Amino acid sequence: MADIEIEIDGKVVFGNSGESVISIADREGIDIPRFCYHKKLSVAANCRMCLVDIKGNPKPQPACSTPASPGMKLFTKNAKAKAAQKAVMEFLLINHPLDCPICDQGGECELQDVAMEYGSDVSKFNEGKRVILDKGIGALIHTDMTRCIHCTRCVRFGAEVAGVVEMGGTGRGEDIRIEPFLSEGIQSELSGNMIDVCPVGALTSKPFRYQVRSWQMNSIKSIARHDLVGSNIFTQAHKGKVKRVVARDNETVNETWISDRDRFSYEGLENKKRCLVPKIKVNNAWREVSWQEALDYAVSGIKKNNMEASKFGTLSSKNATLEELYLLQKLSRGLGSDNLDYRLDFANLAATNILKTNISLAELEKVDQVLIVGSYLRLEQPMINHRIRKASLNGASISVINAQNFEFNYSTSNSLLTAPQKTVATLSAILKSVLGQSNKKQPDYLNSVSVEPVHKDIADNLVNAENAVLILGEHINGNPNSDQIFQLIKDISEASQAKILNVGLTSNSLAAEQVGFRSVNDTNDILTADLKSFLMFDIYPDYDCINSESVIKNLSREDAFVVSFNSFEDDTVLQYSNVVLPIASFYETSGTHINIDNICQSFSASVKSPGDSKPGWKVVKVLADLLEIQGFDFADSSEVTDEALTFKPANSLAEVKISNFDTSEVSSIWQYTPYAIDAVVRHSSSLQETLIGQINVATVSKATAKLLKLSQGDTFKGVPVEINNSVAEGCVFIHTYQPRKC
Amino acid sequence: MNKVCFKNIEKDNPSSLTTYEASGGYKIWREIINGKLSHEKILDELKKSGLRGRGGAGFPTGLKWSFMPRNQEGQKYVVCNSDEGEPGTCKDRDILRFNPHAVIEGMAIAGYVMNASVGYNYIRGEFMEPYYRFEEALKETYREGLLGENINNSKVTFNLYTHLGAGAYICGEETALLESLEGKKGQPRFKPPFPANVGLYGKPTTINNTETFASVPDILAKGGQWFADMGVSNSGGCKLFSVTGHVKNPANFEVPMGIPFTDLLEMAGGLHEGRKLKAVIPGGSSTPVLPARKALKMTMDYDSIDKAGSMLGAGSVIIMDDSTCMVKALTRLSHFYYDESCGQCTPCREGTGWMYRVLKRIMDGHGKMQDLDLLLSVQEKIIGNTICALGDAAAMPVESFIRYFRKEFEYYIKNGKSMVEKNG
Repeated sequence: MADIEIEIDGKVVFGNSGESVISIADREGIDIPRFCYHKKLSVAANCRMCLVDIKGNPKPQPACSTPASPGMKLFTKNAKAKAAQKAVMEFLLINHPLDCPICDQGGECELQDVAMEYGSDVSKFNEGKRVILDKGIGALIHTDMTRCIHCTRCVRFGAEVAGVVEMGGTGRGEDIRIEPFLSEGIQSELSGNMIDVCPVGALTSKPFRYQVRSWQMNSIKSIARHDLVGSNIFTQAHKGKVKRVVARDNETVNETWISDRDRFSYEGLENKKRCLVPKIKVNNAWREVSWQEALDYAVSGIKKNNMEASKFGTLSSKNATLEELYLLQKLSRGLGSDNLDYRLDFANLAATNILKTNISLAELEKVDQVLIVGSYLRLEQPMINHRIRKASLNGASISVINAQNFEFNYSTSNSLLTAPQKTVATLSAILKSVLGQSNKKQPDYLNSVSVEPVHKDIADNLVNAENAVLILGEHINGNPNSDQIFQLIKDISEASQAKILNVGLTSNSLAAEQVGFRSVNDTNDILTADLKSFLMFDIYPDYDCINSESVIKNLSREDAFVVSFNSFEDDTVLQYSNVVLPIASFYETSGTHINIDNICQSFSASVKSPGDSKPGWKVVKVLADLLEIQGFDFADSSEVTDEALTFKPANSLAEVKISNFDTSEVSSIWQYTPYAIDAVVRHSSSLQETLIGQINVATVSKATAKLLKLSQGDTFKGVPVEINNSVAEGCVFIHTYQPRKC
Repeated sequence: MNKVCFKNIEKDNPSSLTTYEASGGYKIWREIINGKLSHEKILDELKKSGLRGRGGAGFPTGLKWSFMPRNQEGQKYVVCNSDEGEPGTCKDRDILRFNPHAVIEGMAIAGYVMNASVGYNYIRGEFMEPYYRFEEALKETYREGLLGENINNSKVTFNLYTHLGAGAYICGEETALLESLEGKKGQPRFKPPFPANVGLYGKPTTINNTETFASVPDILAKGGQWFADMGVSNSGGCKLFSVTGHVKNPANFEVPMGIPFTDLLEMAGGLHEGRKLKAVIPGGSSTPVLPARKALKMTMDYDSIDKAGSMLGAGSVIIMDDSTCMVKALTRLSHFYYDESCGQCTPCREGTGWMYRVLKRIMDGHGKMQDLDLLLSVQEKIIGNTICALGDAAAMPVESFIRYFRKEFEYYIKNGKSMVEKNG
């Protein structure tokens, strides 16, 4: 580790040769003021605030760009250093508005903080100040560029981390402007981090603007639950309402960044369409009732209909907490029913558990070969994609097998456009090539498979790589042959030593797997089964279920008794439910998220849930008590957590036979925008206004359009058609915020 | 006079290959191609010659070339800085116009010494004529088979390209030049790392001024000692001085280092009738101004001008006679730096505008006596705190103008008009 010794302000400290002086000082707790320096961004040395006096150097030197060398002696607070720092502070303030009381950054402004120590009470500047007119850069970031101190942190964040150069410095000298190059403004899926890195009030959160002062809020540690990473965040609350979400450092999970989805989804909690009061449907009319009455009604309904356990079904969204999932399954199995599922968006329920992720986030950065199959990874899992981008910057080569060419923020070496029905054939060809290279025995079904150069190329890359990873994405969920795809990926991984990253089971799916939230008979489609009563936990079938129409039809049967737990009001839910129980949403309940590294991250409630709504785990517990099921004596959620984590689900790995090659029919892939994947994010208005949130297009190739008799301007499954050649033949790629049922 | 860079200036067709070769041009380069000259020998001669960087900083050229990691694997570059933009300077323009082959040969030799197979000449955007002359010379050289891959099967490779700038003064700063050459916005890089380690496209790079490169072939042809002997101690050889301002015959003069300032002034035709010398900026607009009494005593070499309180810089001598309003002159200079600051680092971006605005206010008759101390304090806060030397360049004139001509500034502030100009 530390191999050299230097002296800072008379204190002997250790560092690595070549390490910047400021990073050593930071580690040692020696305060050096700075604006442009950021530990996760490249060094710019442009603000000059961190100038320090280095012995033997006539000029003060910036601590951020000066590498430590053995025996170096530096002074951060002597007269020379202070004079330089104060000089810079004076320059920074001459054109900066001194109106902190009306600036949204006031109270959490780095410039304000540093000015307290290094600034003067009186300005010597008597000339006119610079004013910059703001143009507006999108729905999420408010700009006040007159306040900009040109540290370029946002510019560097865009170029280096987000991977899209949207923000730049135009003009020269005093006329330099930090602004987006394009009129679309800032649209990256990680853009909100620019707000965090901006040291002043130039870039602030638009939804949070003028809501409340930073010091009036409580910051509560929490976990974002929209994806497989479980980014660490602070929820900042005022008077019982979440007002803002900011990133919390956790090097192993999200470093210091979070996605826009995690940052701005909290807005949804304030949406008017929250479920606030329990409701029951009597004689086809809805009535708001007390919890007691609602639960009694639910229990009697279940008891009446549930004379045989096999007619009782429990379904949950994959966003539920570990505790909620565990108690729901315990309730169901307590009643003797194995009818459980959370995989609502799978076309084929077989073998979904055979692909286990066996690579960590940290390892992802170090891979040298990546094969992405069926994923718009950048929008599905922004923080995982960020790790892949880092690997790419370190020289990893990335191949993609997708139905459409997507805009990744790294270059790809092979991009194989493949329609869903051809995926099995394509992967078989790659498997054949991989097996051929490693002289392994081939199963018979591969004999008829023909290997093209591109398959061989991808296989070569995988076999020759030191650290390869196969990434399987959301698009596979809707593929009727998903079981064969899983098996092939597993076989390729075994033959090539490549690791696996399965992002198809996202949000808190790993917690659902942990508690065995699946029937032992995998392929049992509970949603369309002829059951008598259902518990539906946080489900909105219009969006969540792949075959929503038949699901809704099934649930709406006269003889089906449906108890729904929801945070948001939904007409479809009202249509089929008999009881709707209002439950707490994100940040309103304690719970646990299990991320891709199998880290169990528990969080407490940041705020109380609105109205009469209650945390889901408590509602399930009370319901179980009323149903007189044993083993629900939990005093708080952490007792549930402990039991859930020691739970050993019954698991059987299915055998899959590969048989399906090219059936030559036209198929489609339905993918939601990242801001339509769950109820919370769907209800956050600012995210919906972004370009990503507005994506609504069914892309089809010219030939396929002809086959389907589609032309530009038509709609396909309710989504506007766009004809171009970015999509594989024989496939319609639907990317939208609209519900499947529309 | 006119012995090295300007040696062919009075001949017919001075920029042609024929003229250049007739005066001994490409002799050294041919020796190198024929394997008769080692890089150690070249470095020795250069060190002996006392040649110092002619762009302004005056760093010993031989030493600079020896810093390049010659034996390191990978691409290395030689870059010529012909982005001559300093107010008062026009010498490189004439070298490119009248002796382009000396620059080409100098760069090729540098390429060989530092094991760099590619060179770029970055020419100021406004220099269209010099650009065409240089390009023409480059074509001639390629036609003659003196440049390219594996020249004459010698295993020596050197390719040279011209790049035309786009009009930013800051691109004359060597690292901003590299950024610009890479196609980026011209903004200086912080150092370390220095270009010799991490330069163009991240590869080891040496950047020298046009005059420096143009001086190299003759130094090697006639010997380092010959060159050194022309000049004085610590300032070897001869140097181009661009004499401008209030003189009868403003021009470039190539003269031995160390000649008295008065001799140079005489060469330029002296002052206009009835005028007295008031002040001199000896090295280009970014060097401190000197009052006549100091200037008249100095000789034109690094040490003497340093002793007088200024710098030799790029040898751009701006002569100001007693009709010059120093307030107006400084305001104009300050506007230049305010306009040309790249805006990257705080002290320069904010400080140059501040100084210019205060001066403009004084010019507009709204000055206050404390403005002079304010100006001094602002320039002091810029000096030494910036990424590149533009900050210092903007600050030094302010300090020296006020130091030597404070009374004139005070008069302007008090009376709202110039002490010198009748209608000021």
